[in-house]
Amino acid sequence: MNFPRRAAVAALSATALALTAACGSGGETGSGGDLTVGLAVSTLNNPYFVELKQGAEEAAAELGVKLTVVDAQNDSTNQVNQVQTFATQGLKAIIINPVDSKQATPAAKAAENANIPLIAVDRSVDDGKVASEVASDNVQGGSLAAVELGRATSGEVVHLQGIPGASAARDRGRGFEQGLNSGGIKVVASQPADFDRAKGLDVMTNLLQANPGIKGVFADNDEMALGAIKALGDKAGTQVQVVGFDGTPDGLKAVEDGTMAATVAQQPKVLGRKAVEQAVKAARGEAVQQVVDVEVKVVTKKNLAEFKK
Amino acid sequence: MTTSIDARKVLSDNGALGGLLVLVVALSVLAPSFLSTQNLLNVGVQAAVVAVLAFGSTFVIVSGGIDLSVGSVAALSAMVGAWSSTEAGLPGPLALLLGLATGVVAGLVNGALVSYGRLPAFIATLAMLSVARGLTLVVSQGTPLATPDVVSELGSNLTPFLPVPLLVMLVFFGLTAFVLTRTYQGRAMYVIGGNEEAARLSGIDVRKQKLVVYALSGLFAAVAGMLLAGRLASAGPQAAVGYELDAIAAVVIGGASLSGGVGRASGTLIGALVLAVLRNGLNQLQVSPFWQQVVIGVVIALAVLLDTLRRRSSTR
Amino acid sequence: MAELLRATGITKRFTGALALDGVDFEVRSGEVHVLLGENGAGKSTLVKVLAGVHRPDHGEVVLADGVRLAVIYQELTLVPELSVAENLFLGRPPRRFGVVDHARMRRDAVGLLDRVGLAVDPRARLGDLGIAQQQMVEIARALDQDAGVLVLDEPTAVLTDTETDRLLEIMAELRDQGVGLVFITHHLDEIRRIADRSTVLRDGRSVGVLPRGASVEQMIELMVGRTISEQYPRHRQDPGEVLLKIDGLTRDGVFRDVSIEVRAGEVVGVAGLVGAGRTEVVRAAFGADRYDSGHVEVGGERVAGGDVRAAVRAGLGLVPEDRKGQGLVLTSSVGENLGLVTLKSATRVGIVDRKGQRGRAAEMAAALRIKTSGLDQEVRELSGGNQQKVVIGKWLLADPKVLVLDEPTRGVDVGAKVEIYELVNRMTAAGRAVLLVSSDLPEVIGMSDRIVVMAHGRVAGELPAVGTTQDQVMALAVQEISA
Repeated sequence: MNFPRRAAVAALSATALALTAACGSGGETGSGGDLTVGLAVSTLNNPYFVELKQGAEEAAAELGVKLTVVDAQNDSTNQVNQVQTFATQGLKAIIINPVDSKQATPAAKAAENANIPLIAVDRSVDDGKVASEVASDNVQGGSLAAVELGRATSGEVVHLQGIPGASAARDRGRGFEQGLNSGGIKVVASQPADFDRAKGLDVMTNLLQANPGIKGVFADNDEMALGAIKALGDKAGTQVQVVGFDGTPDGLKAVEDGTMAATVAQQPKVLGRKAVEQAVKAARGEAVQQVVDVEVKVVTKKNLAEFKK
Repeated sequence: MTTSIDARKVLSDNGALGGLLVLVVALSVLAPSFLSTQNLLNVGVQAAVVAVLAFGSTFVIVSGGIDLSVGSVAALSAMVGAWSSTEAGLPGPLALLLGLATGVVAGLVNGALVSYGRLPAFIATLAMLSVARGLTLVVSQGTPLATPDVVSELGSNLTPFLPVPLLVMLVFFGLTAFVLTRTYQGRAMYVIGGNEEAARLSGIDVRKQKLVVYALSGLFAAVAGMLLAGRLASAGPQAAVGYELDAIAAVVIGGASLSGGVGRASGTLIGALVLAVLRNGLNQLQVSPFWQQVVIGVVIALAVLLDTLRRRSSTR
Repeated sequence: MAELLRATGITKRFTGALALDGVDFEVRSGEVHVLLGENGAGKSTLVKVLAGVHRPDHGEVVLADGVRLAVIYQELTLVPELSVAENLFLGRPPRRFGVVDHARMRRDAVGLLDRVGLAVDPRARLGDLGIAQQQMVEIARALDQDAGVLVLDEPTAVLTDTETDRLLEIMAELRDQGVGLVFITHHLDEIRRIADRSTVLRDGRSVGVLPRGASVEQMIELMVGRTISEQYPRHRQDPGEVLLKIDGLTRDGVFRDVSIEVRAGEVVGVAGLVGAGRTEVVRAAFGADRYDSGHVEVGGERVAGGDVRAAVRAGLGLVPEDRKGQGLVLTSSVGENLGLVTLKSATRVGIVDRKGQRGRAAEMAAALRIKTSGLDQEVRELSGGNQQKVVIGKWLLADPKVLVLDEPTRGVDVGAKVEIYELVNRMTAAGRAVLLVSSDLPEVIGMSDRIVVMAHGRVAGELPAVGTTQDQVMALAVQEISA
């Protein structure tokens, strides 16, 4: 082995060590017990999932188990690799927050082959053995949003959609359409803004040009709703009612300010907490609940206090 | 002979300009609300962020490089600015300066890796794309942060018909044109992009100039990031994802060559406007979300194809 | 002898400009038909019309039945990463059962290489071969496709004298096998050695056909349309103080202990075979490449090694061997290229004095008689000679003490060559000096005052230019130096 190559190997090993150290310090919480649970989260590039992770970490600390968190950065392939790695690490249970329900099957297979119980959180696994499913219902949330928007306003409304083809966008959109028949609102435009606040602003601005008489907006998440509120300016909360989804801190603040009529709050912390509870039960061989429903709630000014932390 | 050269110049400019005009005419016919003053202002505002990013990328592409990190650097700079004021309690203007400095530092690192580290620009800036995005998440802890007032002003209107983003875009357009045509740095970019070895053998300090190029790109990215955050009054951890590709597309639609040595500020401005007009129009026409990406891709390809054909027919 | 190809009344326009105007041309079996003319006279366009790349506006090209035409361009169309055999059968490898038959490919390759007298292993990587050998591979490939007419577009421009001799021999053999050859070259002595007849083009017209044995003077007169009194119009003068001193320059494994002095008003030629280290030495002296020991002085002051900018500041200039690859910015205009070296000195507080730069570029373009439609014309559109004048012009604007010219007239036509020589005279008359690296022996002898001959990375000897013969230079260049 000549010198440069040795140097390269040394540098690589040093990097690997540093990475291991970084994972050790940032990825694991909780110290007690020899029980380790893995959490494969779809992305941490979104406050919602950061909260889910926090809830899981709190529960793990309380129950005295170790929690290893990995982030798939919204890439299904990444996630399958991560779960496969989990399966070889001697974890006692794995929690998966699928990037995509349809593409999580290989991950489920990996856990099943290693005889490790798998808990799905927030999104389901379409095909595969799952010990417990902890989720809030996106379709139901979409319906609730439509009903709330119909209560707050009537006339023409627009729908800001998430990333075309993403499961949350699909489910919320479907629920929204199902809930429409109850009120006096009519959808005149549905356009994608990719769950992004800046795009929500631009798309809403453009839709306002084509449809100046809009009375309401439903956005598939709070980020887009906040962008739309920016575009509406003074009209938000007065002439035009906006309903979002997720109940993020910024979203709740907009409800408090009156610019957002309502948001459909999921409770990501509760999702994370329940998932860890089920995972620990499964790991200890205790009975688990097959389906854990975490309520989605419409948050308006009236019940805001329950959700503000 | 001189007149034929001038005509050729106008023609090669018109490649992108012609495409923009076709698009505008078509949309005016199809969408009645398109041609209103307010909507045209909207288009300008919506083009601003990508345009400023693309001006920075024009320097890089003219000098024969590529900068894939501009979207991430924009997000990081805005986040540093927001964090300094919201979390660290620094005064707004200072926070703004810190944010801009962040962009310059990221650009200098890119430049150092490319010129002194001899990394291919694609790799060095790809690494920075990931690092800057990661640092954005670290600083923000994954949640959006409010921006200081001085940054939020960037997203507001001076008068009803003078939105600040539009103004910033025009100022940076002028700045870019000035740097490219008048300054030593700008002229050196064309020489380095056209033939790096000839530049070196003519006594141009290629490595130092490249450092300047990437630092400028970083600074412009930071300004774009501030604009984006200002429009939302909030810096998001996931802001400007994928904007580097829009910036590169704008530069190339504007007639620049990815192999370097060719490109101008006016072309890039037109390129950014083409993208903004297109997105605005697709919303107004309510084209199906599944088809929108198809249409955008086709228009980018057509715009560049048109320009290439014009060039070819005018040189031979 | 059978006629293989006949082109009659070929006319071709490009966006208004007349490139070819009623040209007649034919090739017979077993002849070498030279196509002669200055750059821009229409030779390349005619070749492209013959090859079917361009369609003529008028006239027609008729090939005899079953005759194919192949063109060997100056830039080779081979793949350096593949083997010699794979290159020979590029795109049409022998196949058996749908799989490439490597054994047969190698057998066939040996036979083909034999025809051009090339003894290399067909499995060798093409990129590892010298440029002359690669050219032979390209010719062999054309022969396999049964080319009846073979067009060679300036094949000798990149070859050394021995390699050129070998190529001319092969061409003679192919002629005897009945192949019709069309040969383009700027070296008039080669024409005298091989041509059966020469068609001379000027400004897109055929201005005459010279028979075998035409004199160099006849050729030049037809090409440029006027008589050129002297091919090498050197005005020698008494040398002044030492302007450039290269002292004991060494780069391990490349050149060793090279010392050259150049005085004011002097032209020092550097001769030697390709690979003797001439280009490497002058590039190192200019700071373009590093060296291990020794030093360089300009005007009595030491110049730091490996630093082009220091060399430029000290008063050195380099017109590199590879004009397009290292001298010009092809994407930029004539004016921009002329201003390259002076860009920095024309900058005040970061802003370039564009007016001044343009004014000086315009003066220089006029002084050098650069044939261009204007300063805004793209430099890539100029002929080779005019491009070279641009590269020299950018240095003249910076007024260096010593200008190093590395193969300044390669690929440059006769008329422009003489103009470049006049520039050399102007520099030395103004008290500057020139270091002239050239493989063109008559040029080195004709234009230098002293000649330094290099062999195997060392100075093999020095000769006065006046009274020295090519044989004397060659004797030094080929000598074996014991290490």
